[in-house]
Amino acid sequence: LRAPQSRGKAGSVGRHANRGGDPGWQPAGPANTAPLGPDELLRQVARGDEQAFAALYDAIAPRVFGLAKRVLRDSAQAEEVAQEALVEVWRTAARFDASKGSATSWVLTITHRRAVDRVRSAQAGADRERRVAAASVETPYDDVVEEVTTNLEQQQVRRCLKGLTDLQREAITLAYYDGYTYREVAEKLDTALPTIKTRMRDGLIRLRDCLGVELGSAKGVTG
Amino acid sequence: MSQPTEIHTLAGAYALDALTEIERAAFARHVAECSSCAIEVAELNETASRLSAPLWETPPARLRESVLAEVGRTHQALPGRVERAPADGVVRRWRRWTAAAVAAGVVAIGGVATVWTVEQTRIDDLRQQAASGQADQNRLNAILAVGDARIRTSSVGPAGRMTVVVSPSLGDGVVLMSNLPPLPAGRTYQAWLIAGREATSVGVMPEGAQSGSATLAQIGSADTVGVTVEPAGGSKRPTSDPIGTVPLV
Repeated sequence: LRAPQSRGKAGSVGRHANRGGDPGWQPAGPANTAPLGPDELLRQVARGDEQAFAALYDAIAPRVFGLAKRVLRDSAQAEEVAQEALVEVWRTAARFDASKGSATSWVLTITHRRAVDRVRSAQAGADRERRVAAASVETPYDDVVEEVTTNLEQQQVRRCLKGLTDLQREAITLAYYDGYTYREVAEKLDTALPTIKTRMRDGLIRLRDCLGVELGSAKGVTG
Repeated sequence: MSQPTEIHTLAGAYALDALTEIERAAFARHVAECSSCAIEVAELNETASRLSAPLWETPPARLRESVLAEVGRTHQALPGRVERAPADGVVRRWRRWTAAAVAAGVVAIGGVATVWTVEQTRIDDLRQQAASGQADQNRLNAILAVGDARIRTSSVGPAGRMTVVVSPSLGDGVVLMSNLPPLPAGRTYQAWLIAGREATSVGVMPEGAQSGSATLAQIGSADTVGVTVEPAGGSKRPTSDPIGTVPLV
């Protein structure tokens, strides 16, 4: 069906203008013959379709790799984790349940869990601490602020993060972008554990409402 | 002590992967029993995933080749399938316990002191097997709720991890392992409580398993938890040096 690279690129061309990707990865633009969204691709992957997997890879690998790299702060490890996560996606695709969320979210959940598992293993964690210490201080959502982007979802995420209280935002970004446990977050922010738990939850609820996340809509993408 | 309703405040931390493995498993069990919670958790999970939108980055081209090549030689799991273990006597006992232990999150207790569980922390899998005794959950909560509970982690191999949670006051603990390196056929992982040169087995994993957990019921004077590679079925005493250890003191 496709030459590995050229079709992969073509797959991205359609959404070049919003290269951050959108939540449902609906076909964006006229470039291809109505490329399938991740939910439908994942359904085909679950039936053992390797070509569908390749298309899913093209749609989602940059999100997977970017997330792993942010948590691990290391390109080589991010590649390893991205590979593990994507192969797990292939292996366990039949377990994906569209009623619990979008395919994109499912893939990113697998990725995030593997990334934090690795970063919390003693050695990798220590290495990362050094890399973080060596890097200039930055807040996670400012990491990419200079990146020129017209992507709506990226803008929306930034805007909604700014709408949180400082404590909500710090608690959420330390956990999600840096892979800290809520205990570690509580320590870092010098805040009581129950407060951190609560801020993570009410902060995410506020984000959910700001981003307009609805399971129904995620499901609706694929029918 | 965490109240039954209080655990739900962990929904945010759960969606952000900010829980330890034990808490994650305990929370997943809570969700499996609470359908209204499941909707909130699914939504928060979807929300958390959106946070990765600004992190978009093109991976090196070799990743694509490498992933597609591995996919080409990787079998797919059937829906909801739990890893299989060979069915000899010991393993049958394991399997019997595994369902309860999985549902409890990590730990099961009873006639046998220690139980390996196939790590199945996904809500899906927990749901399918959510029929366990309250005693298991109580034990898990008890260890976590004690003020002196300590958590230690070591790496095992490139991606593996051993985590030990111990409460000195209870003299009780749990060891969890995940993503241990794959072993050749006929070999398996076995965990030990080590006191000086003495090692006491605390559990043998089913052949092929790379993740599991065991309770550490009789810590006594042991100062280390170690895991070794043994012939399938386990050994009376370690036949090799530990590939991973976690100090208890």
